[in-house]
Amino acid sequence: MKALKYFFWIIWIVLIACKSDEPEILPEFSYQVENIDLPEGLTGETGALEFLPDGRLVACFLRGEVMIYSPKSKKWQMFASGLHEPLGLLIISEKEMLVMQRPELTRIKDTDDDGKADLFEPVTDEFGMSGNYHEWNYGPVKDQQGNLYIGLNTASEYGKVMPEVRGRLDTTLVPGKPLQKFAAVPYRGWIVQITPEGKTVPYASGLRSPNGLVVDDANRLFVNDNQGDWVGTSVMYQVEKNHFYGHPASLLWEEGWNKGDPSKLPIPELESMRSKGAVLYPHGIMAASPSQPVIDRSAGKFGPFSGQFFVGEMNQERILRVLLEEIGGQLQGACLPFLDNHGLRKGNNRLAFAPDGSLWVGQAQHGYAGDLGIQRIVYTGKPPMDIHSIHLLKDGFELTFTQPVSDSVAIDTSKFYFRHYYYDYHLKYGSDQYDVLHVPVSQVELSADRKIIRLILPVIKAGYVYELTLKDILSERGVALQNKIICYTVNQLNDQQ
Amino acid sequence: MRGISQVTPKLRSGVSICGQRTTSLLILVSCLFSVKGYNQTKIDTLRINLKAIPGMQYDLVRFTVKPGIYLKLVLTNEDEMEHNLVIGKKASRQKIVEAATALGAQGPTFGYIPRIDDVLGSIPVIKGGQADSITIRVPRNTGVYPYVCTFPGHGNIMFGAMHVTNGVMPELTADMDIPAHRRKSGNNDQALHSSGHHSSGHPYPLNPPYLYRVLMPDAGPAAIAVCLPVGLAYCWDAGSCRLRYAWTGEFLDLTDYWTIKGELHAKVLGSIFYRDKTRFPFLMNNTETDSILPRVQFKGYRLINGYPEFNYRVGNAEVFELNLSTKDGKGLLRQFRITGLEQPIWFVHDKEDGANYQSDKGVWTGYRLKLEPKDAASFTITMTKTGQ
Repeated sequence: MKALKYFFWIIWIVLIACKSDEPEILPEFSYQVENIDLPEGLTGETGALEFLPDGRLVACFLRGEVMIYSPKSKKWQMFASGLHEPLGLLIISEKEMLVMQRPELTRIKDTDDDGKADLFEPVTDEFGMSGNYHEWNYGPVKDQQGNLYIGLNTASEYGKVMPEVRGRLDTTLVPGKPLQKFAAVPYRGWIVQITPEGKTVPYASGLRSPNGLVVDDANRLFVNDNQGDWVGTSVMYQVEKNHFYGHPASLLWEEGWNKGDPSKLPIPELESMRSKGAVLYPHGIMAASPSQPVIDRSAGKFGPFSGQFFVGEMNQERILRVLLEEIGGQLQGACLPFLDNHGLRKGNNRLAFAPDGSLWVGQAQHGYAGDLGIQRIVYTGKPPMDIHSIHLLKDGFELTFTQPVSDSVAIDTSKFYFRHYYYDYHLKYGSDQYDVLHVPVSQVELSADRKIIRLILPVIKAGYVYELTLKDILSERGVALQNKIICYTVNQLNDQQ
Repeated sequence: MRGISQVTPKLRSGVSICGQRTTSLLILVSCLFSVKGYNQTKIDTLRINLKAIPGMQYDLVRFTVKPGIYLKLVLTNEDEMEHNLVIGKKASRQKIVEAATALGAQGPTFGYIPRIDDVLGSIPVIKGGQADSITIRVPRNTGVYPYVCTFPGHGNIMFGAMHVTNGVMPELTADMDIPAHRRKSGNNDQALHSSGHHSSGHPYPLNPPYLYRVLMPDAGPAAIAVCLPVGLAYCWDAGSCRLRYAWTGEFLDLTDYWTIKGELHAKVLGSIFYRDKTRFPFLMNNTETDSILPRVQFKGYRLINGYPEFNYRVGNAEVFELNLSTKDGKGLLRQFRITGLEQPIWFVHDKEDGANYQSDKGVWTGYRLKLEPKDAASFTITMTKTGQ
């Protein structure tokens, strides 16, 4: 009897202990946004963010500063100034960094150990400048062989060409009637590779405004491009050597180009040349201007999305996630919101994971929708209820959730609202959505652990975006689904299942 | 010229009285005439032209109209982004913007225009280079009616105020219905002065010497502007590897460069006293025709006490160039080091370039200074303003 009494005591204590782990003591949200104070006087247009191994942040600002911030002491220190709209950074050490500025990729070095850069050497300036305001440069990112990649913006039809340019001038597309972005000097609209030997190689063409490059753990290069002329909606490309990604202006600088104005080629010919995006960001739904992609290598410190892509959005108070998978030998996948509002600002131009697993966000506006400053997103430890991943099936989609869903949702097809649509490839700025159609879910299946839901559709068509809106999905603990919309770009159908 | 390209008249709901969008005043007037039976009474229709311009703004941030009149709003998009215009009831901007955001995936279908009663009228999303218009009956109640672009992300920056009044608008600086940054009348806080006393947008005082890589007038696009002590500054071109010009007085005005997208370059504030008029200031031989210019390559700069020492290749020679100001601030003291020479090199200048030249090494013949390799290893050229 006494033993039994002790047993009940123990059960009671265990119950109490378990109860104290119930959601009410967990933070309200899974992620919280903190503001980072900037030094007085600084114009906080963030051009680049990267971390030193010791946890200090290096930030570039568009009016020319490279500054180092210690999260411990909350002190800022000037490393370099006077640079020309620096928009990218690769840290070699606390004394040596590569900075992508308008006229060149520059190695900046502190050679006299006073904590400030004193030597500024071009790594490459072997690309043209017309002086047009839109000719921003992005990167560098490094692959596993030590090659660097940079992205060179096209020039804007709303801007000008200076009387003196750098590089050979080709006015085929200037002043640009009909209006479209142009490439009057070499390699505008290209991704350019710089080999470890220092050779500058035009690598891939057809980009419009490639504000965001990343190399993943499988040594693949990904580039985000922005909606506009020839880009129906913003897009993430997997960029491969000698591929063309659709914006014709850059073709002028293809070696041996002899077809005149590339924007006047028949669309089917351009269409046959171009490689499509792995993921489309439906315009005005997911993003109007996606920026830098980063990969969560925090091994769980940032929550359950390890290995996935996070992407900044300039126009909204939003960070996105991108989910990729290989279907029929090609990468494709989906995008979905990760964080909306919660104190996050607009203008999310640059992202970087700190060694502690927090995601830092640098904002810019630069004449567009946006904001100024730096913020930090911290995982509070409260597991989010969210879509973890998505997989295209032969006849539908398989969604994996971060937590088991409540029993009652799975059987109800009305909670899953699919639309499909496609975007057209044309010169005109942006594209409408075409063939917008509701695709009713014919069947819902729930896995035994209730973390996987299979949604069966009557038909799936290649070349479409499948937009899924989820309604009233709860976890088994009653937590509402964080993000309720996901858009999958079906380039390839899945024949395998 | 970008013309009006979207001209299809359509019926519009939700507008207080005269809800049809018209493409020209002519159509509007003839339509009204037909209603009025050729009554010659002039209908009081006010036409307001608005532009969506770079920098997420309407060019006209506010205007006044009298209560009850007809207003034709013409929106021309001169930006590269898409914009719309929603005009709303008093103090409804926030609600309209939130309702537009709430459209979510339906946003593109509805042109980001929410279907709520607060919307008095709207112009749909138009792309750069396009124009569209709407005619509305201005409310009879005086007050401030907002107009706003409800494209995602624009609504909290890109808006303006229609003041319906028989009187006048408040002072611009006191108008709380327009974006904060538009309340200033003269925004000239980005001028960089050599004295360093002004707000510069930087977290450090601008005490010369300092440099700025920025698009400059009359130079290649890879320009470097350097501010020296005692009111002297110069523009060095990292594309063609040479000093382009020098000036005295204040340094640069970057207001437009930083705030107007598409603005070509910084503005020089002082007065330029010297411009390089040579094809290139160094020649590898002394031929009068100097037909072949040496190949140049920019190799960067090192900061020495804040002064950049430029490094570049000229043919096979390597040049280091450090430019200081003379003690009286009236000229440039240019210290050169040239290595890798086997033959003499000539420094040349133009008669009319605004400067007097002196050198501590070499032999002048007219406007050419011959430097033997041993002289070229270290020499100083002093350039002072002509007439000083």
